[in-house]
Amino acid sequence: MVKEECKALLDALNKVTACYRHMVLTIGGTSDSQNLREELKKTRQKAQELAVANRNKLTTVLKDKTVSKEDKAEFERLWVIFSTCLEILEIDMRRALELGHEFPLNVPKKHLIQTGMSGGTSGVAARAMSVQNMKYEAERNIDVVDLKDLENEINQVGEMMYEMEMKVNVPQWTVEAKQDPGAELKSTISVGASSIGMISVEENKSFCDISKVLAGIIFTAVLIIAIVLAVCVVKLS
Amino acid sequence: MTVTRLDQGQRYRPRMAFLKKIETLMMEMQNPDTGIKTQTQTVTVASIPHAVTGNDIVQWILQRLQIAAEEALHLGDLFVKYGYIYPLQEPKNLTLRADGSLYRFQTPYFWPVQSWAADDTDYAIYLAKKNIKRKGILEEYEKEHYNMLNQKINYKWDFVIMQAKEQYKAGKERKKEDRYALDCQERAYWLVNRTPPGMLDVLEYGLDRVTDPNESKIMYYQQAILKTRVKSSVSLGGIVKYSEQFLSNDPILSGCLPSNPWISDDPEFWDLNAKLVEVPTRMRVERWAFNFSELIRDPKGRQNFQIFLKKEFSGENLGFWEACEDLKYGDQSKVKEKAQEIYKLFLAPGARRWINIDGKTMGITVKGLEHPHRYVLDAAQTHIYMLMKKDSYGRYLKSPIYKEMLAKAVVPQEGVKKRQVKLAVIVGTGLFGRRHLRSSPSPIILRQQEEEAKAREAANTVDITQVMSKLDRRNQLQKEAPPK
Repeated sequence: MVKEECKALLDALNKVTACYRHMVLTIGGTSDSQNLREELKKTRQKAQELAVANRNKLTTVLKDKTVSKEDKAEFERLWVIFSTCLEILEIDMRRALELGHEFPLNVPKKHLIQTGMSGGTSGVAARAMSVQNMKYEAERNIDVVDLKDLENEINQVGEMMYEMEMKVNVPQWTVEAKQDPGAELKSTISVGASSIGMISVEENKSFCDISKVLAGIIFTAVLIIAIVLAVCVVKLS
Repeated sequence: MTVTRLDQGQRYRPRMAFLKKIETLMMEMQNPDTGIKTQTQTVTVASIPHAVTGNDIVQWILQRLQIAAEEALHLGDLFVKYGYIYPLQEPKNLTLRADGSLYRFQTPYFWPVQSWAADDTDYAIYLAKKNIKRKGILEEYEKEHYNMLNQKINYKWDFVIMQAKEQYKAGKERKKEDRYALDCQERAYWLVNRTPPGMLDVLEYGLDRVTDPNESKIMYYQQAILKTRVKSSVSLGGIVKYSEQFLSNDPILSGCLPSNPWISDDPEFWDLNAKLVEVPTRMRVERWAFNFSELIRDPKGRQNFQIFLKKEFSGENLGFWEACEDLKYGDQSKVKEKAQEIYKLFLAPGARRWINIDGKTMGITVKGLEHPHRYVLDAAQTHIYMLMKKDSYGRYLKSPIYKEMLAKAVVPQEGVKKRQVKLAVIVGTGLFGRRHLRSSPSPIILRQQEEEAKAREAANTVDITQVMSKLDRRNQLQKEAPPK
């Protein structure tokens, strides 16, 4: 039970971290906007909440002496995943701070880099926050105002990591990965036709799918005509 | 305990200061009025904006920086090599071509940063993502890296896979064109930061350093800025004053009396100006009045000054100063011994020739004497020197002792000319040829004589304690006398 809960929490944190990375990538580019900064803020706050929840759960489990050896190994593995995730999050937050300083949005002299991105990141943010649509309610100059909060949160995360190191004694290098190299390929196949199907559907959505449907229609039409002709021939002859 | 990313030396990656300059140029290029004009790139059914031709880049650089065409091309090429701009049509060839080939600007997240190098975990995530996208088709060197990373950061591998999958899924939430652009960006980033074999690694900077190699230089220059500087007008004024004052004493410029021994073969000048001659020349005595260091430099001057100081009951000052000089310039082997003697004689409480220095200096000196070396008495010596200079020197110059010396001083007659000397010699000795030149006494003998003189001096010194004790005894006797 506890294991599943921990795993679920960790998955959530993982998802949010990935989304945050996507969003930080777009700072300073042409799809940067106040909305993006707000999304960043919301995402990282969610990430922090999840991180705290994760930490509490995992520390209670790891401090528990009554856990069996295999379970303990499993929890240590989860712990390592958690701390790596937190490291990545911290680094992304620091980059976001730097880039936020370099690219303030309302200064007319500073132009955004034309990176070729034109769409927004609202989809990513919605995925991170697990909502259908994002609502934007922040003020106009959130890009500047938020930086102070960001600094504080970076410090908080740093402190949390330090505390974690001090309190829980898990040697990272003893953890063995469950997945082999190349596991991502197998897992995507096993995860189901869903993902690969999704991939292929997504990628080929605009051309192959349509052409396949079109081909099908033409084929059936030709078949019907052939059948009709054959019937006519039979009837006439 | 987790091993957090140590930025050991990463902060001090040398040759990275130019990154900031490139960034400013990059940002200027984005200006809609003065920047580079962009076009759209069409990629099978999609069109992605913000593509720039190589030629445009070169022209913009030429116009903005006003440099030669060759230099502009090279500079643009560097922009591409460092990953600020990436090519669209030949992604693996990071060079700038001044023709119509298309390039695009890299997103600021992927710009090279001095404080961070590209991380292994990120690279592993990227390779895993590529694996998913290309269904296992990676370049040879990428496969090698993949396997190597799997071994190196095996404990993080689960996270790598999880994160790669999630990033891939999150990427799907974006527009197709954006996804394509993102792919190009990431690929370009990792081409720069994990160069394939055979490509030049521009971010190579040599060994990591633990400390900033420029730190000592920075400190040095900061201190140099803080140094007090003298205006050249002031220092030049000082030189002029010095020259004017010493002009008459300069034997080359003003001639020397009686005659220059090198010219006239007459060593009388040296005899008259010997170290501890009985009667010094007038010029010499006048020189003592120029400043205190002249007086102290001259052994005869010191002798005279000592007589004066004895009268004032501060003879131990000069004695201490001379002893310190002896310590500084004497034998290394005798340093400890001499330091101890000086302490016993001058510094210890109740010493025979106790000198009066302030408590702080005394503290420093006593502490230093635990590990004596040549310069252990420097602080005390400087204090005494300043005391003599500011206090006794003024009075000395007005004292009858100095005036007496000045009156006694001899002004040598201008010596007879060489020819006349020769004539006198011939007449005097009846010999033809050169006059017999006697050699001056050997320095060893001179030194022995000095030491003897010093010893005599030391024996004759009146020490304050004896004087005070004599006075005390006299008082006591007087007290005892009346009751009688």
